[in-house]
Amino acid sequence: MADIPRRVPVAAPLAESAWRVRARRWRELLTATLANPTTVIGLVLIIGMLAVALFAPLLTEPNTPDPYQMPRDWGALNEPPGTPGHLLGTTNTGGDVLYGIIWGARTSLRLSLIVVSITAVVGVAVGSLAGFSGGRIDEILMRIVDVFLSIPELIFALAIAAVLGPSFRNIILALAVVFWVKYARIMRAQIIHIKKNDYVDAARVIGDSGWRIYATDVLPNSITPVIVQATLDMGHIVLVGATLSFIGLAEAGLAEWGVLVSEGQAGISAGRWWASTFPGLMVFLWALAFNLVGDGLRDVLDPRTESAR
Amino acid sequence: MQIRDYVLRRLLILPLLVVGTSLIVFSLTRIGGSPIGIYLSHEMDDQEVAQLEERFHLDDPLPVQYVYWATGVLRGDLGWSGVAAAPVTQVFPAKLTASMELAIASAIVAVVLGISLGTYAGARRNRLPDHITRIFSISGASMPLFWFAILLLIVFWVNLGWFPVGRSNAEIFHSIPHPTGMYTIDALLAFDLTALRDALWHLALPAITLGYGATAIIARMMRSSLVEELQEDYVDAARAKGLPERLVLKRHARRNALIPTVTVIGLTFGFLLQGAVVAEIIFQWPGLGRWMADAVLRGDQATIMAYVMFTSVLFLFVNLAVDVVYAYLDRRVVLGE
Repeated sequence: MADIPRRVPVAAPLAESAWRVRARRWRELLTATLANPTTVIGLVLIIGMLAVALFAPLLTEPNTPDPYQMPRDWGALNEPPGTPGHLLGTTNTGGDVLYGIIWGARTSLRLSLIVVSITAVVGVAVGSLAGFSGGRIDEILMRIVDVFLSIPELIFALAIAAVLGPSFRNIILALAVVFWVKYARIMRAQIIHIKKNDYVDAARVIGDSGWRIYATDVLPNSITPVIVQATLDMGHIVLVGATLSFIGLAEAGLAEWGVLVSEGQAGISAGRWWASTFPGLMVFLWALAFNLVGDGLRDVLDPRTESAR
Repeated sequence: MQIRDYVLRRLLILPLLVVGTSLIVFSLTRIGGSPIGIYLSHEMDDQEVAQLEERFHLDDPLPVQYVYWATGVLRGDLGWSGVAAAPVTQVFPAKLTASMELAIASAIVAVVLGISLGTYAGARRNRLPDHITRIFSISGASMPLFWFAILLLIVFWVNLGWFPVGRSNAEIFHSIPHPTGMYTIDALLAFDLTALRDALWHLALPAITLGYGATAIIARMMRSSLVEELQEDYVDAARAKGLPERLVLKRHARRNALIPTVTVIGLTFGFLLQGAVVAEIIFQWPGLGRWMADAVLRGDQATIMAYVMFTSVLFLFVNLAVDVVYAYLDRRVVLGE
């Protein structure tokens, strides 16, 4: 692997402005990331999935009034793949599997973007507060984090979603409640580590305020593991979300992969394999893509931490 | 910090975490509104409702309610399960043994398969078996369990007809007594080969499904620690004295590579707990996970809370055990901080 400086050296060549150093560093990162073939495979998969999600209205005729609801073709129940008009077949309620896959990509993108942005922001805020202030605040916040981590995540999310009542919105809420803790832990550890650096002391000596030190010196230098975790979570959250909706916590008829697998499950004993197989494959590919890129990013950004999973 | 202090510290925090968890579980029961709903009927007037609230202490402030709830739980009162139509504590043991049997079987699958795959790949670094194992391991973290289970069903149940679903054949089930509730052990105790075959036959697919994620993790860990061990000097020494490669691997490298792997095995326990819900739904396995799933869909709060509380406490103890073992095996890790 190419040798990438983890931080902009304190004594950067004076001729090079700060943003040029940063730009050069990003270019080097990009080159190193793209040198790994599995990362590239993951990236291609992600781009493909994002394209499907973004162009869903062009790929299929959106259902009215709500495009996220499966259209029902009651004249074509349980059609096998290859049927004209239903390329990947239909479910036992006449839902077009291809439509579900395409709009399911959009649903998954929505789910993962919302949950990852909420959890990352909350987690980074809590972790920063704990790591930066230390002492009592740190102790209390970290014990709360410990409590949240002591309940297995799927079971925790399942219980929250169940108490709130079955709907996709509540799945999003439940996942947001469960997943912020990882970021808090990562961020706190990073901050404590970065705080020890000389350049932070230097900033303090020249009289920078605590907030300024955090924003310009600490945060930019401790954010990389958060980026890695967020990438992995983009996949993981869709996996857990689909599991919750497979169990039955999303609205029936939602164009979502887990819902479709669950709908198709009834037909497999009769040999109708397609309604479950294709949407499940999408969940797998989605999670795989982000795992590959996340692992690749970790190798480049954070070579010291081996994958713990 | 001494290891003893570390263990003591962890033990002291444990009750705090259990209380914290119970607070979360208690808040969950109150998020969905007052639990008075299950006792109400249309004929009641306001006064009767108020009487009921007083009887169950629901008119008290929340902290007081929590104390009542927690003392109830400590006394073994986990409430009434609507799904099972019985008190939670009465149904729990039978469901637990069913889940335990599945969990143990999956753990065996995962440990045996994971260690052998990891060894096989690690000894053939950067060759085809290594690449295949790598793909298998990466897939493990991305595989939706519910999809994997359905694929197994489509292939082995629907198309090949090799394996059944459910937990046992009713006729065979009634042919032997069931003192333990774990059907494989019951069959062994009764010296009944047909029953044993039936029990194992029903266990196979759910155990493979549930064990898959853990297998991937264990294989990955085993592979990387074996690769590391094989670069050590003592391996060169063993080779230099003319020991066959097979024995170098078996007697020297693998033994040392097993140490970090063993701690990872404990961590995969979480996988088994969480995956059980999905595996039990799909294979119609009458354990805790399926009970939880039914409870979730029918709003059976008592069951949900008992399950969350139970799995969390179990999870806490297992994690503690893993961390302690890890601390003993690799002293640098915890003691540095």
